[in-house]
Amino acid sequence: MISNVVKQDLVKEDQGIIKCTDVTCPVCGMSCDDIEIELNPTTVTTKNACLMGDAKFQELRSSHRLVHPIVNGERVAWQEALEAAADILVKAKRPFFFMGSETSNEAMAVGIEIAEYLGGLVDGNATICHGPTVMAIQDAGQVGCTLGECRNRSDLAIYWGCNPADSHPRHMSRHSMYNRGFFVEQGYQGRKMVVVDPRRSPTAAQADLHVQLLPGKDYELLDAVMVALRGQELNPDTEKVTGVSQDTIKKMAEMIKECKFGVIWVGLGIASTHGKHHNASIAMRLTQLANTYSKFVILANRGHCNVAGFNQVLSWTAGFPFAVDYSRGVPRYQPGEYSCVDALKRGEVDAMLVMCADLGGHLPKKAVERMMDIPVVSLEIAPGPQAFVSDVILPGVLDGMECEGTFYRMDNVPIYARSFTKPPFDFTESNEDTLKQLLKIVKEKKPRK
Amino acid sequence: MMDIILNTGSTVYQGAIIKGGNKFTEGYTREAGYCNINPADFEALGRPWFVRVTNEYGDSVVVRAKKTNTQQVGEVFIPRGIWANVVVTPETESTGSPRYKNLPVKIEKCDGPVQGPEELMRSSFVNGANAAEYESKKYLDKKTSQVGQH
Repeated sequence: MISNVVKQDLVKEDQGIIKCTDVTCPVCGMSCDDIEIELNPTTVTTKNACLMGDAKFQELRSSHRLVHPIVNGERVAWQEALEAAADILVKAKRPFFFMGSETSNEAMAVGIEIAEYLGGLVDGNATICHGPTVMAIQDAGQVGCTLGECRNRSDLAIYWGCNPADSHPRHMSRHSMYNRGFFVEQGYQGRKMVVVDPRRSPTAAQADLHVQLLPGKDYELLDAVMVALRGQELNPDTEKVTGVSQDTIKKMAEMIKECKFGVIWVGLGIASTHGKHHNASIAMRLTQLANTYSKFVILANRGHCNVAGFNQVLSWTAGFPFAVDYSRGVPRYQPGEYSCVDALKRGEVDAMLVMCADLGGHLPKKAVERMMDIPVVSLEIAPGPQAFVSDVILPGVLDGMECEGTFYRMDNVPIYARSFTKPPFDFTESNEDTLKQLLKIVKEKKPRK
Repeated sequence: MMDIILNTGSTVYQGAIIKGGNKFTEGYTREAGYCNINPADFEALGRPWFVRVTNEYGDSVVVRAKKTNTQQVGEVFIPRGIWANVVVTPETESTGSPRYKNLPVKIEKCDGPVQGPEELMRSSFVNGANAAEYESKKYLDKKTSQVGQH
């Protein structure tokens, strides 16, 4: 629904043209909340949005938007699709509920409620994104801060295994490098930038220091930086193992000691490579050590909007951040066993509900092969690999555009995303509404004993 | 055939395609169906137009070869997407996160073309004894639910 207060203040409608300011972008983890939109009957014009954000807003007027419910490739009535979806989930012995991102916490909470009711597995985009980093937070503890603090204080940014120029196009200009801050009035001239990446990425090309390590040697390099920070002698084999010279490692340690407020931005370069959570864990211990010399924090560059929200919602409902199994009536947490890729790979999942995620396109082939063999219900907005593997498609709603909702930003700050238009159909108001309707039918089909 | 390390990751152009819901278009093939290769490896492979990347399971995918200075010797990059995920392995080291980066694969020069997204999905997943069942149950690449399809 469109909140009246917001509509009065920020949404102006004139002769079929809707103009809205301060729109929250539902694309990447930054959840930029300064987007301006002009929506007319055939086109969308955006201001301040990046290439990816603009592409998402264009979905409002795209010709390929999925607007009709589908069962087994045929268009059906909404109730019929909901019944078919409920049948699939109720009949399953080990249903899997995948709560994607780019949708609201409110919708995820209902999805988790269905999983709990039916005793299924529940997981979210975090599992294939920064799941290992979340495990590292449990292991080592995170020294964190908000993006606002980074913007106003940070004079050293270390991008470790991430490439914000591509993955978060406005990251460096809004929060970490090129903007002026309260304590960094000189802007980029008052900030230093280190990039640790085996590739010469577009971000690395802008860095004061590009540390080009060998692929998969993050743990060893982080350990070496800690040794250099402590002023101890580096192992003579360090360069051979990591591909980085001792001088470079010492220079990086000096930069860490000399800065006033440093930020390590970790990306999937450490979470998806060999070592996984151990890499993220030692990066957090490095941050703790760096606080001996200056103020230092570590933040994960979360890829999707509200992927952090899934961890938050599941934590306050089940007590665990991802990979939860409700089959025994109580939540149990075990990454590697109840997580999406592992459960699919082992072939134990016999039905899936996928909300707002393209698992067909982003999981490894072996996992997608299992999705082809089992019935899949999807909340989806566009044709693509996820629609490809789906038996039932319930048209999705664009959160932050067609309905309101709460998103958690990558620094775990909740942002309330307003809406400025309505969905192109009348059978549901939001993904939360869709799942509530589904839960009602599920409860009718399988009353609790 | 050469042993090499595969890294996958996002690019802003690939991101714009997928966020815009254009995964079943030629644009997706253009922005996600290529492989960046260091000039030395590019020469060693015989200056290919196309390369075949194969993982330990024997799954393989053909992508365009691009000679770039952004890669180290012995390491290649394919943007995140359905082409890369044919060869990404599902081992998660008990974390839930598959091996999207630092994956040992084999690479060789081959003939094109690169399969388009629908063709790749069909050849990867709609095959074997269950193909007819998939055709009747799954949505696949139909267009019956879209705006303007009545």
